[in-house]
Amino acid sequence: MNKTIVIVGGGPAGLEAAAALGSSPHHVLILEKEHNTGGKLKNWHHLFPNFADASEILKSLEKSLPLNNSEIKYDCDVFKMEQMDGNLLVSLKSGEKIKADAVLLATGFDLFDAYKKEEYGHGIYKNVITSSELEGMFVNNSFPDQLKDGLPKKIAMVHCVGSRDKKAGNMHCSKLCCITGVKQAIELRKYLSKSSVYNFYMDLRMYGQHFEELYQEAQEDYGVNFIRGRVSEIAEISDGKLQVKAEDTLSGRPMKMIFDLVVLLIGMTPATSAASIAQSLALPKSGSGFLAPVHQHISANETCIPGLFLAGTCREPLSLQESITDARAAALKIIEWLKLKDNH
Amino acid sequence: MGRLYERLCEDLRCLEGLKSCMNCGVCTAICPSAEFYRYDPRKICDTVQRADDESIEQLLKSDTIWYCGECMSCKTRCPRGNTPGLLIMALRKLSQEMGYFTDSEKGRQQFAIRRVIGDSILTTGYCMRPILVNPANHPEQGPVWEWVYNNLPEVMDKVGANYLKDGPGALRRIAPEVLSEINQIFQVTGGQDFFQLIEEFSKDKADEMCLDAGELGGDNAYFSEVYTKNSGNHH
Ligand SMILES: Cc1cc2nc3c(=O)[nH]c(=O)nc-3n(C[C@H](O)[C@H](O)[C@H](O)COP(=O)(O)OP(=O)(O)OC[C@H]3O[C@@H](n4cnc5c(N)ncnc54)[C@H](O)[C@@H]3O)c2cc1C
Ligand code: SF4
Ligand code: SF4
Ligand code: SF4
Repeated sequence: MNKTIVIVGGGPAGLEAAAALGSSPHHVLILEKEHNTGGKLKNWHHLFPNFADASEILKSLEKSLPLNNSEIKYDCDVFKMEQMDGNLLVSLKSGEKIKADAVLLATGFDLFDAYKKEEYGHGIYKNVITSSELEGMFVNNSFPDQLKDGLPKKIAMVHCVGSRDKKAGNMHCSKLCCITGVKQAIELRKYLSKSSVYNFYMDLRMYGQHFEELYQEAQEDYGVNFIRGRVSEIAEISDGKLQVKAEDTLSGRPMKMIFDLVVLLIGMTPATSAASIAQSLALPKSGSGFLAPVHQHISANETCIPGLFLAGTCREPLSLQESITDARAAALKIIEWLKLKDNH
Repeated sequence: MGRLYERLCEDLRCLEGLKSCMNCGVCTAICPSAEFYRYDPRKICDTVQRADDESIEQLLKSDTIWYCGECMSCKTRCPRGNTPGLLIMALRKLSQEMGYFTDSEKGRQQFAIRRVIGDSILTTGYCMRPILVNPANHPEQGPVWEWVYNNLPEVMDKVGANYLKDGPGALRRIAPEVLSEINQIFQVTGGQDFFQLIEEFSKDKADEMCLDAGELGGDNAYFSEVYTKNSGNHH
């Protein structure tokens, strides 16, 4: 019997899950709260680790959506769910309710609000920007004039902003900001050829395929400098220049350096747009606040609510590739579950 | 794990001050003492969390733990919620209890602090009084201070203090019954014994250095030594 599968969120994970469910006989409905699909991917320029064009990748994700059995509804902000006779009743902010046999949460993540780390001066000093804002400058070619005067610039990349930080309420490692920092350092060296770039890090978490190689490339081919010390504070001095304080922990001395631009590598935090859904179903959360699966190792896409599944960064920080693989795994679990449901 | 580490762990300030350190260096980067001295609170945290008694003993005998200004700026920033400044308080206490403080130049200054501030609290009720800042020992205070110092009663009158007199007001004489209460507090809480301990260890050190430490005050060779000695190796 054909069933309705609701996917909450039309980011990379939601789109890929819909594509994977295309071969099933079920009706797939993507509910996306914004006017368009793509999630965070639509804000990125070139992707680590191979500088692939993000817009091309998004296009191919959107192209693989099956036309026969899937439908996308935009401006549909899901805020609540309830269990009803073995189904799930999905409530939108508009008041509309949709009955689903299975629901996949692909609600993604939020970017850490850098203003919360007041000592870094985001929103206070104009030359302190976030990694996400830097992507926007590359996409729109909207670099501030003072960076484009052809003179040598000094740029700092600050790792772990809003991650691995009890004070910011986030103990987890966001996993991708290290490689994003390496990628963006290379891009800045390419774009502003006379610039020098310094990455302030605690550990470089180069866990993925070609990540370590990119780090080496950054050092050898692009002369990016790596200083092992977490930044303690940033202050504006004169002409919009910024003084960055850190300890060079390898030499064991505190240091102050002056920069023209500081890029904060903001972390990934649990999506606030999933909070009310989780609350309505009393869905457990992991220590860092992401949605918790029923079993970390063997059922990472299943939840304790029958018929409710998770995919992508709503459950933990993941790269694009991992989000996509995760979405396929979730799709398989949904098909299995619907089969079981039919047999009962 | 050893004896010194275990003793440190009995101190609440150690437990509160150091939960786990990831060697990020934020405390050192914000620390005013690290900017001035050869001093690194991160390294102190790391040494202690290794729980190696030999390194802890070295730390307790070094100048290092005496550089901290206890300003607690480090508390505001540590991403792991540690307070190196609190840990250092615990290290100082243990160094005092073990007598290790007399092994370092900055540590030996505990004697001067005990004689000047310690005595002042017990005999007058004030930690610091203007009369204790003798221009001869404090050239950094300059000629204006010397003039103030030489005309204290008149200056104090001028600024409206009730200097050493009975009744209310700044720098008034502390009433005898209040003073005796302060002394009792130091007695009951172990403060007196602690002062005594610093006296004893310091006198041993003075003997070893063939210097006289006197019984009271700063008019002795050991006091001058610890008060004025500067090896110039601190930066
Ligand atoms: C600065 C930065 C740079 C990055 N660069 C790269 C890179 O170069 N390469 C790479 O592999 N990865 C990169 N990533 C990671 C990548 O962005 C993620 O892996 C990917 O976006 C995760 O997709 P997702 O679908 O799980 O979540 P998201 O992209 O967050 O999408 C979630 C979607 O769900 C929708 N939604 C949320 N809540 C609701 C609701 N209640 N109702 C309806 N809709 C809702 C949202 O509007 C959104 O469209 C980067 C991440 C960051 C932070
Ligand atoms: S990935 Fe790197 S920058 Fe991001 S939180 Fe982890 S260690 Fe910090
Ligand atoms: S309390 Fe001590 S260690 Fe902490 S910042 Fe102040 S001087 Fe430095
Ligand atoms: S700030 Fe905290 S975690 Fe970082 S080095 Fe200092 S004590 Fe360790």
